[in-house]
Amino acid sequence: MSSYDSEKVAQIHRELHSHLPSESALRVKALESLLVEKGLLDPATVDGWVEFYAEKVGPKRGAQVVARAWRDPDFKARLLADGTEAVKEFGFDGPAHAHLRVIENTATTHNLVVCTLCSCYPHSILGIPPNWYKSAEYRARAVRDPRGVLAEFGVALDDSVEVRVWDSTSEVRFMVLPERPGDTDDLDEAGLAALVTRNAMVGTDRDLTPATGTAS
Amino acid sequence: MDGPHDLGGRQGFGPVAVGEVEESFHSAWEARMWGIARALTRPAGWNIDWWRHGRELIDPADYLTRPYYDQWMQTYTALLIDSDVFSVGELAAAATAPAPSGSGGEPVDVAALGGSTRFDRDIATAARFAIGDAVRANTLGTAGHTRLPGYVRGRAGVIDHSYGAHVLPDASARGEERAEPLYSVKFAADTLWPEAKGRKAGDRREWVYVDLWESYLERA
Repeated sequence: MSSYDSEKVAQIHRELHSHLPSESALRVKALESLLVEKGLLDPATVDGWVEFYAEKVGPKRGAQVVARAWRDPDFKARLLADGTEAVKEFGFDGPAHAHLRVIENTATTHNLVVCTLCSCYPHSILGIPPNWYKSAEYRARAVRDPRGVLAEFGVALDDSVEVRVWDSTSEVRFMVLPERPGDTDDLDEAGLAALVTRNAMVGTDRDLTPATGTAS
Repeated sequence: MDGPHDLGGRQGFGPVAVGEVEESFHSAWEARMWGIARALTRPAGWNIDWWRHGRELIDPADYLTRPYYDQWMQTYTALLIDSDVFSVGELAAAATAPAPSGSGGEPVDVAALGGSTRFDRDIATAARFAIGDAVRANTLGTAGHTRLPGYVRGRAGVIDHSYGAHVLPDASARGEERAEPLYSVKFAADTLWPEAKGRKAGDRREWVYVDLWESYLERA
């Protein structure tokens, strides 16, 4: 049973600090080894989760959702009203997915998602978050200097564009619906999905205009 | 708690490392730790908020310097020790001669496992605030686990959205399930950061939206 005792857990952390090897790979190997020995972990299930998230679940899922919203105004309305319900149409489910809120970029607003207190992220439709999303730099600065952070990602926002930063402090997970780029009327859903970057759905990318083949 | 995890607005951090290769895992041990977290049979009484609190309680220097999935290893380990699943000594012994990781066999198909967990609840009491209400976040916060970030404490904002009632993390981390209305509260950047001061009311162009539970708020 859990103790719910903060001081006890802090003390355990201090003991671990003194007793664990420094190398992360060895730490994880020791934990896995011990849990298997205790009968609390099936290594083949670990293999399964790793394979599933390395190969099947990733930002391609979110890109499909965005592409459909760009082509289908009714779907877009459903997506903005209740993201969790709307993405069920794709059969996507999984951890950190129960309360999905999709927020829309427009010509005059830009949205940026962060989790300042830990690293909350909509795993089941965007996959494993990048390290920068989990970094102290991003978590500290996204709420305070969003325009500066965006510039580091190569997003040059006009000063007139309003910036909305979403701090994921609850179990609600945020995904940005980027603006559909111009001159894409002839693209089908798959063609549109190919234009959608992971960063655009977190808010660290904005202009998804397809490359024309010439240097821009 | 006022731990090193409460990073919003903390200064002194440099540029974000934007040049990262886009791949799920950057090393085998990270992938392994992710998989262990998903596949583990959890001891009784665990919940996400107790887990998050467990991570917040990592030694501050380790929190800011050890890799992300290394912190997961520390958190799972500390909470498993807390639940008497094994001891520090057993783990230290395992680290001297760990068994090879992986099953060596066919991976289990997990596509049907681990659906989402809902955190919204029906409650009998009506929400105290409505969209458009001016509110102020508590100044003192909570001694234990909380999801009220330091940077909004004492600051005034406006209720922008209501999510209905959600499980209160502060109580869950103490092993009690209690639900309260949850709101998205909109804060103007110039009410949070001194360098953003000077924007006139009609000229504000930076906002921070924070999800806050009813007991975190008072009427402003």
